[in-house]
Order: sequence, then structure tokens, then C-alpha cells
Amino acid sequence: MFRYALFVLAGGVLLGAAPAVSKGRTFDGHPDLSGIWQSMSTANWDLQDHPAQPGPYFQLGAVGAIPSGRGVVEGGEIPYNPKALKQKQANFKNRWKDDPEVKCYMAGIPRATYMPYPFQIVQTPRAILMSYEYASSNRVINMESKQVEASVDTWMGTSNGRWDGDTLVIDTTGFNDESWFDRAGDFHSDQLHVVERFTLMDADHMNYLATIEDPQTFTRPWKISLTLYRDVDKNAQLTEFKCVEFAEELLYGDVRKKTK
Amino acid sequence: MKTRLPVLALTLAFGSLASAQTAANYNPPKTAWGDPDLQGVYTTDDLNGVPLQRPEKFGTRQYLTEQELADRQKEVDQLHSTIDTGNRPTTGFWASVKGAGVDAAAAPAQWIEYARHATRLSSLVVDPPNGRIPALTPDGEKRRAAQPQYYNMRPASWEDLGSYDRCITRGVTGSFFPSIYGNGSQIFQAPGMVAIRYEMIHETRIIPLDGSAHTGPGLRSYMGDPRGHWEGNTLVVETTNFIGGKVDVGGVPYSEDLKLTERFTRMDDNIIDYKVTVDDPKTFTAPWTVEFPIRHEPGYQIFEYACHEGNHAMHNRLSAARALDRKEAAGKGAQAEQTQANPK
Repeated sequence: MFRYALFVLAGGVLLGAAPAVSKGRTFDGHPDLSGIWQSMSTANWDLQDHPAQPGPYFQLGAVGAIPSGRGVVEGGEIPYNPKALKQKQANFKNRWKDDPEVKCYMAGIPRATYMPYPFQIVQTPRAILMSYEYASSNRVINMESKQVEASVDTWMGTSNGRWDGDTLVIDTTGFNDESWFDRAGDFHSDQLHVVERFTLMDADHMNYLATIEDPQTFTRPWKISLTLYRDVDKNAQLTEFKCVEFAEELLYGDVRKKTK
Repeated sequence: MKTRLPVLALTLAFGSLASAQTAANYNPPKTAWGDPDLQGVYTTDDLNGVPLQRPEKFGTRQYLTEQELADRQKEVDQLHSTIDTGNRPTTGFWASVKGAGVDAAAAPAQWIEYARHATRLSSLVVDPPNGRIPALTPDGEKRRAAQPQYYNMRPASWEDLGSYDRCITRGVTGSFFPSIYGNGSQIFQAPGMVAIRYEMIHETRIIPLDGSAHTGPGLRSYMGDPRGHWEGNTLVVETTNFIGGKVDVGGVPYSEDLKLTERFTRMDDNIIDYKVTVDDPKTFTAPWTVEFPIRHEPGYQIFEYACHEGNHAMHNRLSAARALDRKEAAGKGAQAEQTQANPK
């Protein structure tokens, strides 16, 4: 961090034409979102209000149970259309089998933002990298004025970003229909369109607001809002969570050779 | 689509890529905070066709002659034309799988990447001077012989297949060395760090430049723990803390003692020289080094490689193996019945 101070004190003289940098801002003048972030909410369990509940295996006792939590949906309820609501209820019933997270599948957006694993933002003027510890997934947000079009459907979507004052606005389309929003069966179609707003509240707290639009699934757009907390530990870093090996037995166990 | 070789190629004949760069006194652009700027999207597509180890006929010769290069360009053009004509290729990678008991035609031509510009390198390995990987230790040899086979026709479980087929990881070198697809990489820089995102199974490495120590030996990972620093215009990355025995380099599962030292040097607006030294005394009797250029190719796009999510092959291969098991068991059962009915 003292590199910034040198520039400010010397008025840029030390590196010739290098511009002075304000605290917490990048060289191109935007809030610096780079760092390691994580939500403290239980949104990944359930986007809506949820009480504490037993988990699927009594053998794990309290370790395998579901915590309570306040929902992050503005207005409280996700506005499913009647057909989609039935699907959500079926998803919930079969969630220990059907939740893509159980299979170590990529989380999609916005779920990757509030997984119980940190993610790291690397901010550059032309592209912003978000590297998620969960399943070693990532996405790159194009920050150039020329938009990138989604040429194929993907798990993490195709993201274009821009600055709206001090708010990073990310517009993402090109999703497949395979990810869920949480472990409670909340889902979407491939018509999903997400607009996210990342705003630093102070150096170590970021407000995250996501507008979710999917005319095939919901009767209107709806929003989620939560806080992201910076990991301020000395030498904070992402560690690795490659979960494929933890999902192989459940995915392929039926075709493993039985040993007598 | 033929492209003239860059002038740089002529200077390559006289030494390693990085020393050619010093000789040319190329001054790379710098980031706003003064680090050499390596940023951009790159591909190793052009390295397709270059073998990892140097065929013995080349001896210590690192580069192709003009005639050899022209022959390689011809093969590259032929492979490239299959994308337009739709003819399935029978050279290169597909020639190597013929006769390996694989009863399959080549995949549709546009599923495979080919070189756009033929490369002058005789091999990717540049040290030892003969371009061949040093001998294995006895331990390394054991691991090489016991590793899961790509063409295992009767896997009992996913554990009989390798980390590539299981979509776990290709490791650091496997994510970066040229392959038939997924050859893209993207470098990002922020003060005090470099991040590299790989197209091959969407790996990301975040490399701190702050001089901090590696994590302790109790924390191991597939992609290891990287730490970087600048030596002049070269980014040097040292990576340790690997999980051993599960992922291979040079065709052998490496041990947890593996240490990779990589060097990234910008050569011109479009090319970065990449050099990696593989040092694993439990597996290889000496360190060995791979060096090749990665190229910024206008219009090249990195796509999401949802390997595990789309891994239908795993279930298909295992269920096919079980069907064969049942067929054999039924056959044996019928034979056994026959023997019982007609004892000799």
C-alpha cells in the first residue's frame, strides 16, 4: 500500500508521468474493488427467510443441519409464475439429489457471489477477473466500450461491465438453464438476465445488489441485496476447493464395478 | 491461410528466446504502477504439431531448417483446410490414436484446434540440450507404469481413469502446454499481483508479488501455491505445495516435491516467451525445461470449458464397461452350465 503514498507525496515525480493515486482508487480513478470478498449471509442455503432445520443425514447431527437466516430478496418473496412455482417445489423436495452444487457443478451468477467460499476480484481497466474458490470457477467482465456478445450458453454467463459513478454495473446474459440460485431449489431458465451493482461502502465492505429477470420463470424482475466483507487477514489468499472427487461416487457410483 | 513468419523467428536461430529479446533491447510497455505489462489474451494453438520431446534425429538442434519448416507448414495448412472442407483429418493427433485400439473416427474437424502459423521449434523441451526428458527415478518409473491409462477399455471405476478424464484438473503445465483445444490464457495485473486465467478447465492462478512465504506443507493443492517476483522484465513464478501422485507432467505423475519455476517475458506486442523448469527429484533424475512462445491472436476468444458439468463420457465409459462385464458373465455362465451338464 505504501507505493500509493509515494506517488501522492511526490506528486508523481518519482515515476515521471505516473499520475497521483487517491487512497482506495485505481490508477484510472475508479474505486478499487480488488481483493478477497465473501458474504456472511445464508443466502446460499435459501434466498428467502428460513428457520433452522435438520439436514438430510441425522448421522451428522448439528454439523449436517441447516442454519436459520433472513432472506436477501427485496420484498421477501421470489415472484414465480404458477408453473415455475410447482417446479421450485419439486426442486426443493429433491434438492439433495438435484442441486447442481451437490454435484460440484458451477454456481452461475448471482449464486457464485454468496457461496460459503471466498472469491477474489482482480480489477484492471479493460477487464475484471472474478476468481471463485468454489470449484475453481471464474468469470471475466469485459470493461471495454465494445460489448461482448454471448455466442454460446454457459454456466457463468457472458458479462459486460461499466462504471456508473462509483458503482460497478455488470450486465450478464447467455446463461444455460442448469444452475440454481440456492440450495432450496430456486432456479431459472436460459432466459435469465442479471444486472449486478457492486458499490464500496467503505474500504472493507461492499454492497451487492442484483436484479434478476427471467420472463419464463418469474412474473416480474426481482432484486437481492447483501453485503460483501473483505478478508483483511495478513497474507489472505484463496485456497483450492476442487470438489469433483467428492461428487464422483454419487454421480457414477451406479456404474462402478461391484467387488464381491 | 499462410502467414509470413515474424522477423523475430530469424533471431531465434541463434539462441534461447529470452536472450534474443535482451539482444534486441526490446522495452516492454509498463503498467501504470511501473511493472512490465504482460496483460492480454494469448493462445498456444500455434504449438500444435510440435512434440514435447525432440525426435532423436534432431540431436541438440532446437529449430527446424527452412525445408523442415515448409513441410510442417504444409501439414498445418492441410489440417487447417479440413475445418473448411469438413474432411476428417488423419494426420497429427488423429494419426497417433489410430492403431491404439480406438475404434473411432476423428471428431468433427472444427472441434479441434490447429496451428495458424507453423512454429520453428523442434520440441517443447529445450533442456537437457537433446530436448528429451531425463531418466525417471525408480519411484517415478513405478508411478508411470501404474498410472491410469487414457485408453482403458474396461475401467472398474472413475479411479481407473486419469485426472483429465475425470475433469479434476490438468495441473499447471497441463493447463498451459498446447493441446487439441482450450489453448487460451489471459493475464491480468494489479499492483502487487499477477493473475492468469486458463481456458483449459477454467483454472485461475493468483500470483502474489509481495514476497510472502508459501503456505505450509500441510496445505497442498492441484494447482500448487505460486509466488512471483520480477527479474528485470521477466516475471518469475515459483510454485510448490502440489498434491503428489495424481496429475502428470511429461507423461509421469509427479510427486508432492514438485517445484515449478516459470518465466514470462514479453518479446513484442504479440508474443510472450514462456519458460518452465520442472524440478521433482523424486520423479526425474534431473530438472528439465520447456520453452515456447504464447501469442496474442486477434479475435481469439476464451470460452468456458465446463468439463465436469458436461462429462457424459465418464458415465458412458463406465456403463459400457459394465455392459461388457455382464455380457462376459452371461457367456461364462452359459459355459459353466454346459460343463455341468456334460462333465468331462
